[in-house]
Amino acid sequence: MIEASYELDDKFIRAHHQPVTLMDLVCDQGAEVDRLLRHTGLFYHEVAAGRALASPRQYLQLIHNARRLYPEPELSFLHGQRLFPGHYGAVSALLGNAPDLGQALAVFESAQSLISPLLTTRVARAGDYCCVQWLDACGAGDEYRFLVETMMAGLASVTRWLSGERLPWIFQFSYPRPAYPEQYRVHLGSDLHFDAHMDAMLLPAGYLDRPWPRASATARALALRDCENDLARLGFRTSFIQALYDYLRQRVREPVSLEQAASALGASPATLKRRLRRQGTHFQQLLDRARKHEALHLLQLHGYSNDQVARHLSFNDPTNFRRSFKRWTGLTPSACRRLLARTLDRPDPSARSDEGAC
Amino acid sequence: MIRMLHLHRWKILAVATLANLVLLANLAAGDPKGLEEIAWLDIAGEGGAALLAFLWLGLILNSRPSGRVTNYLVAGLTGIFIAYWQDVLDEVIRLPEAVVWDHWVESGAMPLGMVLLTLGIYHWQREQLAINEQLRRRERIFREHRSFDRLTNLTSAPYLRRQLAMELGEAGRAVTLMMLDVNRFDHVRRQLGPRDADRLLQELAELLLLNLRQDDLLCRYAGDRFAVVLPGTGEREATLLGGELIAAVDHFAFKTRQGETHLQRLDVGLATARGDEPDALIERANQDLEARRQQPAPA
Repeated sequence: MIEASYELDDKFIRAHHQPVTLMDLVCDQGAEVDRLLRHTGLFYHEVAAGRALASPRQYLQLIHNARRLYPEPELSFLHGQRLFPGHYGAVSALLGNAPDLGQALAVFESAQSLISPLLTTRVARAGDYCCVQWLDACGAGDEYRFLVETMMAGLASVTRWLSGERLPWIFQFSYPRPAYPEQYRVHLGSDLHFDAHMDAMLLPAGYLDRPWPRASATARALALRDCENDLARLGFRTSFIQALYDYLRQRVREPVSLEQAASALGASPATLKRRLRRQGTHFQQLLDRARKHEALHLLQLHGYSNDQVARHLSFNDPTNFRRSFKRWTGLTPSACRRLLARTLDRPDPSARSDEGAC
Repeated sequence: MIRMLHLHRWKILAVATLANLVLLANLAAGDPKGLEEIAWLDIAGEGGAALLAFLWLGLILNSRPSGRVTNYLVAGLTGIFIAYWQDVLDEVIRLPEAVVWDHWVESGAMPLGMVLLTLGIYHWQREQLAINEQLRRRERIFREHRSFDRLTNLTSAPYLRRQLAMELGEAGRAVTLMMLDVNRFDHVRRQLGPRDADRLLQELAELLLLNLRQDDLLCRYAGDRFAVVLPGTGEREATLLGGELIAAVDHFAFKTRQGETHLQRLDVGLATARGDEPDALIERANQDLEARRQQPAPA
């Protein structure tokens, strides 16, 4: 079964939590709050009273307005650095009292609807690396890159604060090098890789369970209980697109049809199609995304050969796999693996691999 | 948009009154022409010129504080505007032959305005040279108003890249690029809060400028990182200058809005140009900075 989830127009984001940090940031630079809230459907007196609930679409409109009123590339990074742990009740206390990086990442993953409603987090531990991947939660469109910058800056900043040290994150981006690389360099770090097909942060896995100095076990236990209550009241942890993506990723070895996915949702195929279209995507795109990410993980982190990946994804013929992979990434599996091996500073693995096959 | 106009209320009122007086004098002395007598092309030409002169007046007023130079410029443009205005009125109002003052308005205001405007532009140029002297260390060689950073009023990274491309193009001249940032600024921002942290960056920019030489250029690279272009400077001299900046910031007792003192440290990295491209030089300076960054004291 696919779990309960939210969509672009569900009003559940407390506007006085994360949206207000963005409003404060932009208003500090001299923007008027009325212009900032234009077309969002939010009213300042309701936000200030703590009553306003925003949908992801309204939050995205707020971001759109903020970027117009403060058109500097540093905006997303500054926003991210102000976000966490934040003052969002139990979830902030849970994050602020995380005893180590692994538990902090677990907050992002399991309480995503409370802490990062627009971008989902998936954490994978593979071999000697931990990979934190960021995914579009409900169709961010033009604001997607802004969200990636925001969340990466936010996670890098809060983990530096809580751990007391600068963690040697490796950053991978699905998009090309932007016109303002200096913002990435200063706000994120020196290990930046653009055109790398995934928006992810990687770190040697040894950092996951190093104890952090600030955590209080009692405060954390209470926060965990309250946070679970908040999530139960909300009724969902993640977005509809993410829930479906997770379903497809779990079944990446078997061919899943639209009809099967629809019945797992308890909906008709037409309903599923309509819901996806409303959020700017479609079934084949999600399926391709799930399979592409699985292939990239296996190639980069597990050190699979091209043939092994093809077999894992149930391609019965390497040529077919190569064609699909090229459609997903624009690269052959071997070329992509060389590129990703460089990211991790590993020797080029293709020297020993099945170059001829793929 | 309208930032300076309120400073010039009286000037605007004077120009409007003058234009009205000319109109009233024309109406009092003459009669409106019939539609068939009006030369529309002349009206478009002269009216357009009057409108443009009026627009220039507005732009000048909106961009300048009051003062001598502004007064000259405004007087000159007003003369030109009034002359064209009389020209336009001539086209729609017939004055009796006996009236001669309209020729005086037309032919007298124009040269007088031109002379005053010339005088104004001359003094404006003198003023600009004085401002350039003040702006040295903030910009070199070329000016691009869109590349100023909002927070510190220093130039930003794109300007730095273009500037370096020009400096590195001059063969045989040593150039060193220095990168500076505040030690553990991420913690500082959380301790001070974003507003005080922004103010700290502004004040640091001023402090760094005070400690630089006339020909050096200070840019805000991004966040808390500043770049200094040191023309004609080798690595040894640059290291000395870097040490001076570190010492200056060590002794800078920043005050928060609550009046508390906050001390901070600067980290410095250097790269001397060896025939590399701007981006490569920036990257080397960044790497040097990160390699030399002082590790935080164990808690």
